[in-house]
Amino acid sequence: MALHRDILASPGTRVSLMGNEAIARGLIEADVRVVVGYPGTPSSEVIMTLQPVSRELGIYVEWAVNERVAFEIALGASISGVRSMATMKAPGLNVASDPLLSSAYCGITRGLVVLVADDPGPHTTQTEQDSRWYAKLAKLPMISPSNPQEAKDFAKISFNISEELELPVILRTTTRVNHTVSDVVLSEVEKIKQEIRVTKNEARFVRAGMTWNLERHKWLNSKLVLVEDIINRYSLNNCTGNGDFCVVTEGVAHDYVVEVLEELDLLEQVKIIKLGLLYPIPRKFLLENLASCKVILIVEELDPYVEEHVKIILYEGNIRAQVYGKLTGHIPLEGELSKYVVRNAIKTILENTSLAHISKVEKTHLTPREVSPRPPPLCPGCPHRFSFIALKIALSKRGYKLSEIPIFGDIGCYALAVYPPINMLWTEHSMGASISMAIGAKIAGYTKPVVAVIGDSTFYHAGIQPLIEAINKGIDLVVLILDNGVVAMTGHQSTPAWSLSESGRPLKPISMENIVKALNPDFYTVIDPYNLDEMISAISSALDKPGVRVIIAKHPCALLERRKRRSEIKYYVDTPACRGCKACITVTGCPAIVIENNTARIILEDCNGCGLCVRFCPYKAIKTAQGVSE
Amino acid sequence: MKKVVNILIASVGGQGGLTLSRVIARASVLDGFSVKTAETLGMSQRYGSVVSYVRVGSSVKSPLFEPGEADYILGLELTETLRRLHYISEGGVVIVADEYRPSYTQSTKYSSLKTSDLVNEIRSLWLNTIVIPARKLAGEAGNTRALNMVILGAFNAISNLLNRKSIERAINEVLPSHAVLTSIRAFELGYMYIQQAR
Repeated sequence: MALHRDILASPGTRVSLMGNEAIARGLIEADVRVVVGYPGTPSSEVIMTLQPVSRELGIYVEWAVNERVAFEIALGASISGVRSMATMKAPGLNVASDPLLSSAYCGITRGLVVLVADDPGPHTTQTEQDSRWYAKLAKLPMISPSNPQEAKDFAKISFNISEELELPVILRTTTRVNHTVSDVVLSEVEKIKQEIRVTKNEARFVRAGMTWNLERHKWLNSKLVLVEDIINRYSLNNCTGNGDFCVVTEGVAHDYVVEVLEELDLLEQVKIIKLGLLYPIPRKFLLENLASCKVILIVEELDPYVEEHVKIILYEGNIRAQVYGKLTGHIPLEGELSKYVVRNAIKTILENTSLAHISKVEKTHLTPREVSPRPPPLCPGCPHRFSFIALKIALSKRGYKLSEIPIFGDIGCYALAVYPPINMLWTEHSMGASISMAIGAKIAGYTKPVVAVIGDSTFYHAGIQPLIEAINKGIDLVVLILDNGVVAMTGHQSTPAWSLSESGRPLKPISMENIVKALNPDFYTVIDPYNLDEMISAISSALDKPGVRVIIAKHPCALLERRKRRSEIKYYVDTPACRGCKACITVTGCPAIVIENNTARIILEDCNGCGLCVRFCPYKAIKTAQGVSE
Repeated sequence: MKKVVNILIASVGGQGGLTLSRVIARASVLDGFSVKTAETLGMSQRYGSVVSYVRVGSSVKSPLFEPGEADYILGLELTETLRRLHYISEGGVVIVADEYRPSYTQSTKYSSLKTSDLVNEIRSLWLNTIVIPARKLAGEAGNTRALNMVILGAFNAISNLLNRKSIERAINEVLPSHAVLTSIRAFELGYMYIQQAR
C-alpha cells in the first residue's frame, strides 16, 4: 500500500486524501516536529498516516498512554521551542481538559495545536459532545474546517495563528471532515527555524502564584481581543451571495447548505456566512454582514453554539432580525445534519417570503425496507468471546443467575459483548470507569459478586488508579483484564506493552503483570482464555475468594494474529451432519457462522480457526479444514 | 455525464466496501474529477452494516447524498443492499453480488431464508438490478475476498465512468502489494462478465 506516500507529494499536486490524511500533510507543511495523541475514532488516522514517514521527516509521532499525557507532552515540547500537536477524539479532550485550561494562562512558545474530532450522529462515540464549548471554557481560539482541503489548510495556518497569539489553538473537526476522502491540492512545505530552549519564567509557568494567575488571566483576555483581526488575514470566515435572507453556518454543514441552495436555484438570492473561527466568535465580521439581514437561519451540528452567539451579537448591534435554528426547532438538536434536514428548514422558513415560489416537489423514492439490524459483533476467533463465555459458565457453575451479577464494562471491543447472544455487559461509561463503578456498587451495599471487565489499553490509560482505589479500600471485586496486546477497536494501535512503535522507535515494554503484582491484590492470575476450561476454573475460584481478585486474560487479538500467520486452521460444517439446531451460533455469536436454508455454514475466509464452535456442536458436524486455501 | 454521479456501496464490515470506495475516489481524481466520499471507519464497523457514499463530478460539495439520489448502488451483500435500496434514484442501477451473509438475527430468526429469496426480493423491488456471481468470479481470480473488485469491474463496464488505466493504478496504490494482481484479475472478470452478457 503506497497511500501514505501521497502526503509527501510535491506542492501543487492534486491527490485524493482523507480529511485526517490531509491534516497530516498540513502538519508536514507547517514543519511540526512533535505529534502525540491517543487513538480515538474519528481522529486516529492523523498519527497513523504520519508514523510510516516520521523517521525520514524527523518528526516525533507516537501514541501516548492517554490524552492528558499527550497534551502535556505537546505543551512541554512547545515551550521548549518546537511546533507540536496533540490529537484526540471528543471525550479525549475531557481527559486532557485539566492541562488544557492551565495552558491558556502560560501560553506557548512555538505553535501548539490540539486536534479534537467531534462525532455528530454519533457514529462511534459515547456522547454527541460539542467540543466548541471547550474553546469558550478554556478561552482558547478555535478554528473549524468544512472539508479535507480546508482541514489541510487550516491545520497549517493554525500554527501561525498560535504563534502570533502565543496561545494554543484548537483545531476542531467532525466525522464528515475527518473521514471524507476528497481531492486536495497540496501546498509548500515550510522550513521553520526552531531553536530548542526551555524558558524559565515563573510568572508564566508556575500556577502556584495567585498574583501571577490574576495577571496571566488579564494577559489572556488581552490576547483574545486580538484574535479576530489576526484571523482576518487568513480569510477563515467568508460571506457569499446577497439578500435579506441569510444562512450562518460552519463545518460540513456549509457544504450541505450550498448544495441545497444550488438545487433550489437560490444560491444568488441568499447570503451565506461561513465561520472558520468559532472562538472567539468573529463579532465585527458578523455585525457587518448581518446588518442588512431580516431573516437568519443558523445551520450547525450538535449544540446551538453559533446560534446563541449570533443572538447576542444581534442584540449588541441593535439588529432586528428573525433568527431560526435549533432553538426554534427548525434544525434538530440531536443527530447529524443532512441535505434533507437543511432543505426542509429552508423551505419552511421561506414559505411566507418573496422566495416562496421554490419547488415543493420532493424526490420520490422507495420506502425503506425493514431489514433486521446488524450490530457489530466480536470478530471470529476473538479471545474476548472465550473470556465472556467462560465467565458465563463460571457464574452458572457457582449457582448465580446472570441477572444478579452486575458486569461493569469499559471502552473497547469487549463492549460488543452487550449484543446477543453474549449479552454480558451492564455498563460502558468512560475510560477506566468499569473498576470505579464496580467499587461504588460494593460500597453501596450490593452483597452478590460484582465483576469489572477492562481491556489492556484502557487499563494503561485510566484503569490503574481505580485498581489502586479498589485494593487500597479492600473492596470485594472480580477484575477481568482482557489483554489482547493492542488498541484493537480503533484500528490496532500500539500499547505501552509493545517493544517497537509504529514509527520504528524501540520501546521499553511495560509489563501489565508487574503493575498488577506491585499493587498487591488479594489474588491474581494470568490465563490464556483460549484454554476455556482453565479460564472457567480460574473465574470460578476467584468468585469464591474475598478481596480484589484480578484475572489477566492474555491472548492476542485474533485479527492481528491472522495477519501474522499465513498457514491457518479453518473449520467447515459437514452439511449432512448438521441438524440445524443453531447451537454453534446461539452460543458463540461468531459472525463467520451463518444459517442459510436451515443449515449452518462457516464463511471460510472469515474463520480464524479458534475452534470454539466445535465444542458446542452436539452433532460433531464442525470439522477441521486444515490447509484449505481461501 | 451528469454534474455529479452518486454511488452508494452497501456491504458488511470486512468485505472491502471502504477499500472499494477508496479505489473509486482515487481513480476519479486521476481522471481529473472532483470527488467526495463519506463513511465511518474504525473496528466497530467490522461485520457490522457498512455504507459508503461516493460522489464523482466536476464539482462536488456535500459528502453525503439522500435517499432517491443514488445513480448506482454497488451491493457486496444482499441484505445490506436491501437495507439501502431506497437510496436508488429513478433510472438508477443496482449492481449486486449474489452473496448472502445473514446477520445474527437473520440466522437465528429467519433461518430458512436462502440466497435466491433475497435476489428475488431485490429484483421485485427494483427492475434495473444486475446480479453478479461475484464470489465465483473472485475465486477464479484467485481469492474470494476480491469480490469487491469484481463488482468494481461490473460497475465500470456499465457506467463507463472511469479509465481502466486509472482504476488499475488506483488498485495498485490502495491495495496491499500481495493482493494487487488478484484484484486486477477480479476487476477484469467483473468487467468481462457484463461485456459478455451484452
